[in-house]
Amino acid sequence: MKIKVTSVMVNNQDKALKFYTDILGFVQKRDKPLGEARWLTVVSKEEQDGVELLLELMSFAPAKTYQKELFEAGIPFTAFNVADIDKEYQRLIDLEVSFSMKPRQLGPTKLAVFNDTCGNNIQIFQVL
Amino acid sequence: MARRCKNLPMTFYEIQIESISREIYSNVYLTKQVIQAKYFIDNNFSNNITLEDICKAGYISKYHLIRSFKKLYGKTPNQYSILVRINRAKELLRKDNSVLEVCFAVGFDSPTTFAGLFKKIVGSSPRSFKNYKIRKAIFKRF
Repeated sequence: MKIKVTSVMVNNQDKALKFYTDILGFVQKRDKPLGEARWLTVVSKEEQDGVELLLELMSFAPAKTYQKELFEAGIPFTAFNVADIDKEYQRLIDLEVSFSMKPRQLGPTKLAVFNDTCGNNIQIFQVL
Repeated sequence: MARRCKNLPMTFYEIQIESISREIYSNVYLTKQVIQAKYFIDNNFSNNITLEDICKAGYISKYHLIRSFKKLYGKTPNQYSILVRINRAKELLRKDNSVLEVCFAVGFDSPTTFAGLFKKIVGSSPRSFKNYKIRKAIFKRF
């Protein structure tokens, strides 16, 4: 068994694709029709054969409540590793990304949390 | 204009992070010493570095280094050093390097030890890993 796909729930797949590719720099991997939604995945530019991130359309009401509560508490839905968090923070700030937590150290890790504009807080982290 | 977080109240998550930081990582100086020791491993893993060298780099005793490194990174300095070498080996195997060349390039003296550790960490032998990557690259062209 292999882990090939993980997902984030998004409230708009077009908007999510734009944010995750144009702003975060991921690369679109698959886009297949799937009823009302699409099987839409992106991968890291540096690891294009790595785990795919499914931008999954949020359409299940109880899950919307879960996502909303996480968002309001500032809790990240998922986290991405970066090589230099201060540089990445500045790059995203310049692109007008909204952060709820600016880079701060937690032991041997530095973390920051931003809004992906599709209903989620996303954490970036650097292992120091 | 971008919303900068300095004027916003802390979120529930940030409050939790701050509390964990205070409770678990209160010794800032020790954390700094261990991070310094880790940097030394990151930058010198292909040389024959000893635990004494790592301690010197972090200005820390062996006892504190092993204990604190494991606490901060979940591995001993030796386990971490092996992991860094194997990760580098994976990068080199994806390029045009032989298994033997890679073995020595990442600081192993024995190909048997290298192959054993590689299989334990990656799940396949260095040779299978290299062949799989080559097949995948060829397949991608078509």
